[in-house]
Formats: sequence, structure tokens, C-alpha cells
Amino acid sequence: MSEPAIRIASMNKYYGNFHALKDIDLTVAPGEKVVICGPSGSGKSTLIRCINRLEEHQSGTIAVMGTVLDDNVDHIDEIRRDAGMVFQNFNLFPHMTVLENCTLAPVLARKIDRAEAEATAMKYLERVKIPEQAHKYPGELSGGQQQRVAIARALCMSPKIMLFDEPTSALDPEMISEVLDVMVGLAQEGMTMVCVTHEMGFARQVADRVIFMADGEIIEQGSPAEFFNNPRNERAKAFLSQVLGH
Amino acid sequence: MSFAADFPKDSAFNKAKARYFATPTDAVVSALFAAFAVWILWSLANWALLHAVFGANQRDACMATEGACWSVVSTRWRIVLFGLYPFEEQWRSAIACVVMVVVAALSCVPWFWSARRLPPLWIAGFAIFYVLMRGGWFGLREVTEQNWGGLSLTIFIFAAVSLLGMPLAIVFALLRRSDLPWIARTMALVIDVIRSLPLLSIMFTFAIVMPFVLPDWAIGDKLYRVIVGYALFFACYQAEIIRGGMQALPAGQEEAAKALGLTYWHRIGYIVLPQAFRNALPPTINQFVITFKETSLVTIIGFFDVMASGRAASGNADWNFATIEMYVFVALIFFVFVFTLSRYGAYLERRLGVGRR
Repeated sequence: MSEPAIRIASMNKYYGNFHALKDIDLTVAPGEKVVICGPSGSGKSTLIRCINRLEEHQSGTIAVMGTVLDDNVDHIDEIRRDAGMVFQNFNLFPHMTVLENCTLAPVLARKIDRAEAEATAMKYLERVKIPEQAHKYPGELSGGQQQRVAIARALCMSPKIMLFDEPTSALDPEMISEVLDVMVGLAQEGMTMVCVTHEMGFARQVADRVIFMADGEIIEQGSPAEFFNNPRNERAKAFLSQVLGH
Repeated sequence: MSFAADFPKDSAFNKAKARYFATPTDAVVSALFAAFAVWILWSLANWALLHAVFGANQRDACMATEGACWSVVSTRWRIVLFGLYPFEEQWRSAIACVVMVVVAALSCVPWFWSARRLPPLWIAGFAIFYVLMRGGWFGLREVTEQNWGGLSLTIFIFAAVSLLGMPLAIVFALLRRSDLPWIARTMALVIDVIRSLPLLSIMFTFAIVMPFVLPDWAIGDKLYRVIVGYALFFACYQAEIIRGGMQALPAGQEEAAKALGLTYWHRIGYIVLPQAFRNALPPTINQFVITFKETSLVTIIGFFDVMASGRAASGNADWNFATIEMYVFVALIFFVFVFTLSRYGAYLERRLGVGRR
């Protein structure tokens, strides 16, 4: 079997005395789409943020595309270039145009020629269906457009994995589908994806595996069909009845 | 407000009527203040223009009038601008001064805002200034720093302090928010200690005490020691201003930059500092204005800046009755520089679109 895209083994994370992530074991195969869900405070965002060292874990192993995440800055940088991330609040750089947002990291971190980086950026902006906004500033775009730019910006680094941290939670309802459409397209092209999301329709449609977390632990995991139709754990049942109930 | 709505026409007359003469009390107060303002302006015009003496060397005419004696300015302006600089060499000081102002003006133009253009511009500016002022080369007579003075000295000190102080402030601000607690705390302590000292005492220490402490090769001229001390003081204040600008940034900005694989220096240079400076622009301009005005304190350690030179120019037996006129002239010089600075700040604020987000 080939090297897994992400391998997490007996990983623990503490905030002071608070045990935020408990003994996490998780392996994501190349091309696999994993959806992480669970009640708020269950540690799902913390888990995904540990993968690219936005949060530091205290024990256990995390490896991305074979690179082990340790204190070596080169390893951290390598993992961050392999794993693109999309945030809940978009986090576009407000002082740069959309195009500059998309070319900054390729030019600086990947040392790609500016013209080439701009061509790549335009390609991805077309893919997320907003090439005409390339010379605007993020503040001039709607939330849904900003999030699509954020996805394009991450893709411009040619990541091998995409991490989504509640990408639709800050959006107005009518803008959610335009972002999910882009994510579905990405999934269909075979991108390895880890998504923290409450969009259960999305999970049913694209996920290979659904992971349910509570209190910093992975409580249940399985195929979407198993998980949605036949949850075994009581807390998963309660959670599902809440998010699917209406 | 409903009162204003009664006047359909938005004419200046109606607006004035609505704003200043809405009720009888309003009308009385407005009329009183208008009369008072007119009286002040009239007295001022009488003194400054109508009964004033303008020409050079007209001390006797000055004594005879109750108006302003601008004659003191037209007779002795060279002292204000050039201080103790030798009279026949003052053209050098004038050119040096103009060079500095031009360099400062050029560096306000966005085209120069790059690491490849700004440093050479300022190095060239300071080099020309130094060669012209100090002399000793190219057949120019040597004039030591002790004899520099007037406006050229003020501008030189201001430019040097800003240029040394700003990079230092950035370094201080970055150290202050270091992840390593002992670095952050040490920096915080240094900043707090220097900020708690009066600028005067810092200048005094660098001018008078430092020569006893430093090795001979590092002493340099008193002027440069004072500039270094002042730059340190500037940097501590400016560092806190920059830190404030950094704290206004959402944490997500740096996280997004990290997630894109940008290195520390790229994150600082492209994401954090540009936005921090934009956030901190108004207090930064404020800091420059204060710094320009406080250059006058160098008089305490024996330098004749534009302020001290003005006092000296009207301080002799012939002209000491016209001190006020001389101070007005010096105030005008300060006003021109400070007002330009604040207008430039306003332009920057519009250009950087502070409100945009």
C-alpha cells in the first residue's frame, strides 16, 4: 500500500491543563474525502489545525505526505505547502487584490515566475467562476465570492491535500451552495480532502468516510451510509437528530 | 432639524440662518461672537500688515510704529535658517537643506516605496548633505558640526532620527511580540524604561555621559550621539504604535499566511507590517509631528536649531524689542513643515483606504 496522505497516531493536544484532543488515530488515504463533524467544542477544528501546525500537538505523531511534523521549520513549511487550507472567515489579505492574494505564496514560497503564477491564478479563478473579479479587493466581494477566492488561493500552491475548516459556517444561506459546488467539483477531480463541516448533504454526496468527534475524541467513523442511516453511538444519534431534524 | 426643513431652498443664506440665527438667543450669541472675531482680525491685520515695517535694516522706523517689526526678520533671517554657519559658506547650508527636503518629498511618492529605491535615495541624500555641510572635500572649507545650525540642522536631525528610528521601531515591535517569553519581556522592559525617561535627560546622557562610557573610536561627534539617543527614544514610542497596529489584525491573517507556507519574514513583510502600518497611520503621523517639534530640545546641549537661532537672532541689544515678531516667523516655519506633514498623512489615509475592509 502506498504512503497515506495523512497519518496521525496517538496524538494528544492540551491547552494548559485542558485535554483538547485525546489519543487521536486517523489515517487518510490519497484521494480520500473525509468529513469531520461533531458538536461545537468537540475538537474538530483543533484537529484539522494540528495537521498544518496552526496548533501544536504535545505527543504522538502527525505525518503529511510522508513528512513527519516536528519542530523543524523546513518540515513545517513543506507540510504547509502540501496541504492547502480554507478557513471559516476566508482570511483573504484585504490590502491585496484577488489576483495578488492568489499569486503571493506561489511567487514567494514556491519561487514561481510571476507571469506563470498569474496564469495559474487565472486558471483557478475561472474554475471557481470569478475570473472577472481578479483585480478587485476582497472587501468588494460577497462572502461566497471571498470563500471561492480563498479556495482558488489555496489551489494555486498545487496542494496535494485540502483542509477545510467550516468553510460555509460564516456564509449567508444563499451563498452556501456556490461554495459547496466548488468543493464537490474538487472532490470529483480526486483531491484528497479533510472537511470540518455541518453540511450533511455535502457529506452524503462526496465523503468516503464520516468521522464523528465529541469531547476531543473520535467516537464513531464509517461510510456516510452507515453513519447517517445507522449511527451506533448515542451522542452521534443525538447530534444527527439535531442537524438533520429540521 | 425640522426647522431647517421649512426652508426648501438650500441656499447659503438659509443655511446660515438655520444654523446661527434659529432663535433670538442664537442670534445674539452669534452676533456677539462675530463682532469679537472681526475685532480680533482687525487688530491683527493692523498690527501685522497695516502698521508693520517690512524692509531690512529699518530699526528706527520700527521704533516709531506700533505695528509689527518684520524688519527684524528681513534683516536677520539668515541666522534663523543657518545658525552659526559661516556667512560666506551659507549657500552650502541652503543647498543641503533643499536636498534634504527634496529627498523627503521624493520618498513620499509611491513610486519610491521599494527596498531598491528608498535606501539609495536616502543614502545619496545624507551623503550630499554631509559633504556640503561638513566640507573638507572638493575644495570646500571645513565646517564642523558644532557650527551647524538653524533650519538645516533641525531638518537634518529630524530626518536622521526618523530614518534611524523607524527600522529600529520595527525591530523593537517584532521582538516585543516574540514567541520567546524572555525576549518579549526584556524588550517590553527596555521600551518601558526608555519611555519613562524624559527626552531631555536622554539627550543629556548621550551628549555628556556617553563619552566617559564608550571606547574612543565609538564616541563620534556630540551631534551624532544625540541623534542616536533621540532615535532610540523615537523607536520605543513608534514600536508601541506599530504593535498596536499589529494587534488590530485578526489572528486569521497570520494563520492564512502560515497555511500558505510563507516564511516568518514573508509573513511579516507582506502581510503583517503593511496592514499594521495602515492601521497605525494616524498615530504614526502624530509621532513624526511631535518628533519634528521636539528637535528644539537639542538647544539644551548647545546646538542652535531653528528655534534657538530665532531667539539668538532677536536677542541682541539692537533688536530685542522685536522678539515676538521673530517667534512668529519661527512658528510659521514650524507650521509649514508640520502642516505639510499632516496633509500628507491625510493623503496617505485616503490612498491606503483605511476604512476599506
